[in-house]
Amino acid sequence: MDLAKSAHLTTEDHAPAAQPSLLAHPSAKTGLMSWLTTVDHKRIGFLYGVFALFFFLVGGFEALLIRAQLMYPNGTVLTAQQYNTMFTMHGTTMIFLAVMPLSSAFFNFIMPLQIGARDVAFPRLNAFSLWTFVAGAIIINIGWFLPAATHGAPDGGWYGYAPLTSKTYIPKHSIDYWIMGLQLLGVASIAASLNFIVTIINMRAPGMTMMRLPVFTWMTLITSFLIVLSFPAITIALVELMMDRNFGTGFFEVSLGGMPILWQHLFWVFGHPEVYILILPAMGIISEILPTFSRKPLFGYPIVVFSGAAIGFLGFTVWSHHMFTTGMGTVATAAFSLATMCIAVPTGVKIFNWIGTLWGGHIMMRTPMMFALGFVWMFMIGGFSGVMHSAAPADSQQNDSYFVIAHFHYVLIGGSIFALLAGIHYWFPLMFGRKVSEFWGKLSFWVIFVGFNVTFFPMHFLGLNGMPRRTYTYDPNLGWNSANFIASIGAFVLGIGIFIYFAVMAYTYFKGEKVGKDVWDGRTLEWSLPNPPPEYNFRVIPTVHARDAWWYEKHHREEIAKEQAEHAKAEEAHGGIHMPFGSIWPFVTSVGVLIGAVGISAFNQLGDPGTEGYWRLAIGSFVLGPKLGLSVFGALVMFVGVYFWSLEGNEGYHLHLDKDGNPVKDGHGKH
Amino acid sequence: MRFPNFLPSPLRRVSLPRWGRAFAALGALALLSGCEWWSMNGHQSTIAVEGPVARNQLEVFYVTVWVSVVIFVIVGAVLAYAMVKFRAKTDADEHAQPPEQSHGNPLVELGLIGASILSLVVIAVPTLKSIWYTYDVPADQKANAFEVTATGYQWWFKFEYPSELASVTPDGATKAPLVTGNELVIPVGRPVRINVRTVDVIHSFWVPKLAGKVDMIPNRANHLWLQADKPGYYWGQCAEYCGDSHAVMRFRVIALEKKEFEAWVADQSQTARNVAPLTAGTERPKVQFASLREFKKNEVGITQKFDVNPLEAWRAHQMPDARNENPELIARGKELFTQKTCLACHQVRGHGAAGISAPDLTHFGSRTTLAAGLIENNPEQLRRWIRDPGSVKPGNKMALAYERIDHTGKKIDGIKLTDEEQVALVAYLLSLK
Repeated sequence: MDLAKSAHLTTEDHAPAAQPSLLAHPSAKTGLMSWLTTVDHKRIGFLYGVFALFFFLVGGFEALLIRAQLMYPNGTVLTAQQYNTMFTMHGTTMIFLAVMPLSSAFFNFIMPLQIGARDVAFPRLNAFSLWTFVAGAIIINIGWFLPAATHGAPDGGWYGYAPLTSKTYIPKHSIDYWIMGLQLLGVASIAASLNFIVTIINMRAPGMTMMRLPVFTWMTLITSFLIVLSFPAITIALVELMMDRNFGTGFFEVSLGGMPILWQHLFWVFGHPEVYILILPAMGIISEILPTFSRKPLFGYPIVVFSGAAIGFLGFTVWSHHMFTTGMGTVATAAFSLATMCIAVPTGVKIFNWIGTLWGGHIMMRTPMMFALGFVWMFMIGGFSGVMHSAAPADSQQNDSYFVIAHFHYVLIGGSIFALLAGIHYWFPLMFGRKVSEFWGKLSFWVIFVGFNVTFFPMHFLGLNGMPRRTYTYDPNLGWNSANFIASIGAFVLGIGIFIYFAVMAYTYFKGEKVGKDVWDGRTLEWSLPNPPPEYNFRVIPTVHARDAWWYEKHHREEIAKEQAEHAKAEEAHGGIHMPFGSIWPFVTSVGVLIGAVGISAFNQLGDPGTEGYWRLAIGSFVLGPKLGLSVFGALVMFVGVYFWSLEGNEGYHLHLDKDGNPVKDGHGKH
Repeated sequence: MRFPNFLPSPLRRVSLPRWGRAFAALGALALLSGCEWWSMNGHQSTIAVEGPVARNQLEVFYVTVWVSVVIFVIVGAVLAYAMVKFRAKTDADEHAQPPEQSHGNPLVELGLIGASILSLVVIAVPTLKSIWYTYDVPADQKANAFEVTATGYQWWFKFEYPSELASVTPDGATKAPLVTGNELVIPVGRPVRINVRTVDVIHSFWVPKLAGKVDMIPNRANHLWLQADKPGYYWGQCAEYCGDSHAVMRFRVIALEKKEFEAWVADQSQTARNVAPLTAGTERPKVQFASLREFKKNEVGITQKFDVNPLEAWRAHQMPDARNENPELIARGKELFTQKTCLACHQVRGHGAAGISAPDLTHFGSRTTLAAGLIENNPEQLRRWIRDPGSVKPGNKMALAYERIDHTGKKIDGIKLTDEEQVALVAYLLSLK
């Protein structure tokens, strides 16, 4: 498409005449191009949310198929291989394509608003993170649409233990897609996290000291550090696995002296912090909602923040508690056992502080608060079964049984998902200016809550009764029939609850009750904005005087009004509100990455390097091979994207607001 | 009956009549008592344990449960109280002046942190003790320990007795450690140290009633120990996802008193049994029974009858069933075993079959189950297995020897068996007691 035609209004007056049209800044405000070129953190957050919710429904559908298969003993809904694909994809989808990006949606949308910023530090990098995430999601799922015998969707488990994932045991390309998909998600997550870290450290409004940061922003920061520090471990593991599968190395190949146990260490050094990557944002959301609906500040703010950091830190010291049954020996087992117990302390502290927040408050039972309180209860149950696992001898019975499934679903659904659903309800009025009806909100909560417990509570008993995980069938004489039946019924109730939730959300988006600004009597800066927030977020960058900045503003109106008038004048003197240009190049770069990664994962196996003609074949396919040609083409597209990305520069334009806050055309060109 | 405001508002106006409430309560009770969903006394229960190792692990588990329950009740009560007590009950409440903007109480918080650490110590001490106890056979019992090596294959278990030598040739001149498949027989009252190994991917050895699991990891010499209190028949299962048929990779442990165990070892150490040819004048059945019926997809292969007393069923399997043996058919089956290349993978000591990549079948007829503890070892089920192993255990190597699809998607044919051949093989295999 001709980008020049959609060039930004400022280019008309001020773009240097010599500038090639490819580098014209896109300015579409509506339509497809506006979404592909957006660098607005709110729009990017919204897109993250849309993709995450889509994959949440996909993962949920996979879960329902799993429960349909296990509803009765010797079920025949799925074949063994379909079942194995289903649980692999359910785990991978829910963790990487649903919960993480949904958290990311909130990081993007809410965090800059909470710290009084107009965007993240690197808006185009932010867009690149989004589109690369989408590319990764496509590659992970691409196998569904390819021949099952030679490609197929991944079926090695979400944790992909070597050597099952080697070419010997799974020769199909399914694992290659899994590897490349996770690599891309890693790139996207690390880029996004660096962006958030830089934003939080550098772009806070004046007076927003670290110990005044809203807890959600704190958890964004801690989670981002966890991502940056933990993803490299899995990146390395995946590179090694890719080399093993395609280039004859022997990191995990026993016949070449490799050590499969190494995979487990590398995976869980990433995998355990990953668990906290999933739950810390949820804790942040809860720490926003409980004070708002109790109408008092968070109890023990510094301790909540530090315990969040402590959980993040300890998260790197306990990975081997996923490996208690791998024969680590007594000392290592004991050390990881004790370290795991230690995590219960900062986690317990959070629960105590949430209860302390409720204590003495005026608790308003709105839908977000219902989900938040549901979170506290369910997370407590999940936490306690977690403590049970920390005792290694008890875990040797529970590991890889349904007890573990019960545990982490209490933490991930009762925990993460409840909090994210609460967050959607909580910030929905801010994002879209409409509010979900209390009746339907509460109804969906109760259906979800009941369905969830009916599904997962019996699984504790199933696990203690010896039912192992990842089994597509079980015999009727083992005493697991009714618990499985009840769990399946619960799963369908849960599915109905989720359906109601989203149906209501969709209805509200179009037809819901319109609400004004600050509908919940909020405490943090995002509630100072009109809804939906304008592109530039803050008319005037706020000055922060207290921890609950907006609450303080509401109770010191005159002082703040005077201060803001001065700031507005000062900002205008500096040229007005500075906004970044949109850009298509992050999107183009991600498309290149996608094409290249598909090419690499579908790369034909060449055989062993020692065999005759290996190098001839390798070089030949590098030049001519259609599969590798795809990778080369992808790399070219990526190169073009990055090249123009850097060439177009990081300029922006200025906005000026009239008295009503409407933007007027900029007359002062680029800066 | 007034419903609180955390219910959707129209529901608050609904009031169940008295009979309705009684009905609901009855329904709940029926749900609770009518099914066994909370009962934990199945064949693979980690609660109804029958050995010292599993018992020790269970005791640690109970400590964690009690600590958790006590804390949960206390914290839960406080949380519930706060939710009820500080709830804004009316609109006026919600619009009242906000409560005092308090920020916390360091003393309360430090106290709670201290209490949490204390309760963790309660868990930590028995945990540490148990880690050392369950790791290996206690020093004072080492001399009495019996050693077995368990090896995981996709998807079955091999059990090797390094201390028991079995005859490889009928004359007993060549001996090798006794090997069985999928059914591990151990002596009662003695610690059994099990070395766990694998030849392919990671598996995990788990007999819940006797001990927690330990993974079988390539390039790693793991072990565990367990002990059975009394004679019994125990269910075990692979507990690490190991590919297509992970779910049906099961095994059994049979614990026997000393005398019976020794008799079993002596019996198994012999080479495979030969059935005497027909003598003139004796009447024997012409065809050994093997049902031709079709099996449903993923049909259950274990009968209820078997469950009543599995140990007795096991004992019955040790004795040859002379009435149903047809020597001609058995001889034909023995021939087919070679012809159809079964011997390339399976071993039958004394019958010239020395394959090592599949279960040892020397005393196959004495086992209660086949296909790795999945289905009962009887003519009907055995024929089901021989006829189409892939339908019983998807993707297994025997099925691939019948028919497989290569990486380009092309079908490659292998072993083909007619009905007559299947019946003969069944007769032969079941005669191997």
